[in-house]
Amino acid sequence: MGLRDFEYIEPRTVKEACAGLTEHPEEARIYAGGTSLLLLMKQGIVRPTYLVNIKKISNLRYIRNDSPTLKIGSLTTHHDLEISPVIKRYFPVVSEAEREIANIRVRSTGTVGGNLGFAEPLTDLPPIFIALDASVRIEGPQAERTIPLEELFAGYYETTMQPGELLTEILIHQAPPNSGLKYIRFSAGSDKPAVGCAVGVTLDAGSGACREARIVLGCVAPTPLRVREAEAILKGKEFRPELAEQAAQIAARACSPLADLRGSEDYKRDIVRVLTRRAVAEAYQKAGAARA
Amino acid sequence: MKRLIKLAVNGTEHEVAVNARETLLDLLRNHLHLTGAKLGCDQQVCGSCTVLLDGLPVSSCSVLALDADGCSVLTIEGLASDGELHPIQRAFIEKGALQCAYCIPGMILAVKALQDQLSNPSEEEIRHFLAGNICRCGCQMEILQVARLMTQAAR
Repeated sequence: MGLRDFEYIEPRTVKEACAGLTEHPEEARIYAGGTSLLLLMKQGIVRPTYLVNIKKISNLRYIRNDSPTLKIGSLTTHHDLEISPVIKRYFPVVSEAEREIANIRVRSTGTVGGNLGFAEPLTDLPPIFIALDASVRIEGPQAERTIPLEELFAGYYETTMQPGELLTEILIHQAPPNSGLKYIRFSAGSDKPAVGCAVGVTLDAGSGACREARIVLGCVAPTPLRVREAEAILKGKEFRPELAEQAAQIAARACSPLADLRGSEDYKRDIVRVLTRRAVAEAYQKAGAARA
Repeated sequence: MKRLIKLAVNGTEHEVAVNARETLLDLLRNHLHLTGAKLGCDQQVCGSCTVLLDGLPVSSCSVLALDADGCSVLTIEGLASDGELHPIQRAFIEKGALQCAYCIPGMILAVKALQDQLSNPSEEEIRHFLAGNICRCGCQMEILQVARLMTQAAR
């Protein structure tokens, strides 16, 4: 199909990148791995006048363990996360999910910052990272700020980042003791996920009752969707199958999936229900195993 | 506006003037006349445009040529040396792991990347690694046979 013409800017520092983006607030797009962006550009859906390639900025590709916080540079690739021993050890759910993303070529070029900053709805990392209470560092021409990842997303392909801002780092915190996290994706083979569900719970060491819960859906709303009403159902309670089903039904009602070739709206809602039920059970089980 | 980039393709240094909108595949096929890498789906799904960029498999259809500035690229044309086919190429022929062969340049480079990245991979690891390269003729069983043979021979 080919790409339309654009001006190419290659900043060497975050400051230069922010300056380039500020200069052309409406017409510039950030180019990192390009795995999503170039596709939409080929289809003519996105037509930037300026492409700001941030890959030549040094020091944005790292996985740093500042226990209890793990810091991931935004240019870290999916493949970097997939094979990282630190990720495998402390966040095995992330390594497992990375393994299922597209194919080895996409994982070798696609970046974590790009994945989050592009706000593509059909993707795996946002619900997992939100369940882990991740934050993102955003640098701008004047200042930098760190916000919960949940607050980054504004809609389909839209974020709360202002023109001139660049996502530079993802921060994930190790979960407290007696925590369990489960992510389940529903997809046809190596296709994008049609539904994703991440559930994290932290149990009381003594009673085994749930102290904290996060239920986050991916792909079934304009943004990753935390279902707080379903989380509230779990709080203070030990695991029971009926409890998981109840939370799952709330999740299925809360989402707003679009019908597409991956399934009808009703079908996806039912998948949400099933995945949530299973993920709640498994998160409890993992947290319980951690407790034992 | 064209930009001048320097890159090593199959061990040979090149200086090429490219447009920003040209992909690495455009550079290889149209500027360097290396037509082994093929345009297939144009969306990083099929793998027929696979080349190794600094050793990592990429879809050359979806990487800008400018990204290869200062990098080394390996294409199917660079695999044989001194007129001798690479062992992976020979194995594809010996096992009859091809039919129309449109996917094969990418497939061979994917097997090369697998060989470079994983020593003694399990059956599951081989299948997982090659899952993004599609052969529509249906030679997967023979291709997997080659992949096993090559990764075990390299052990």
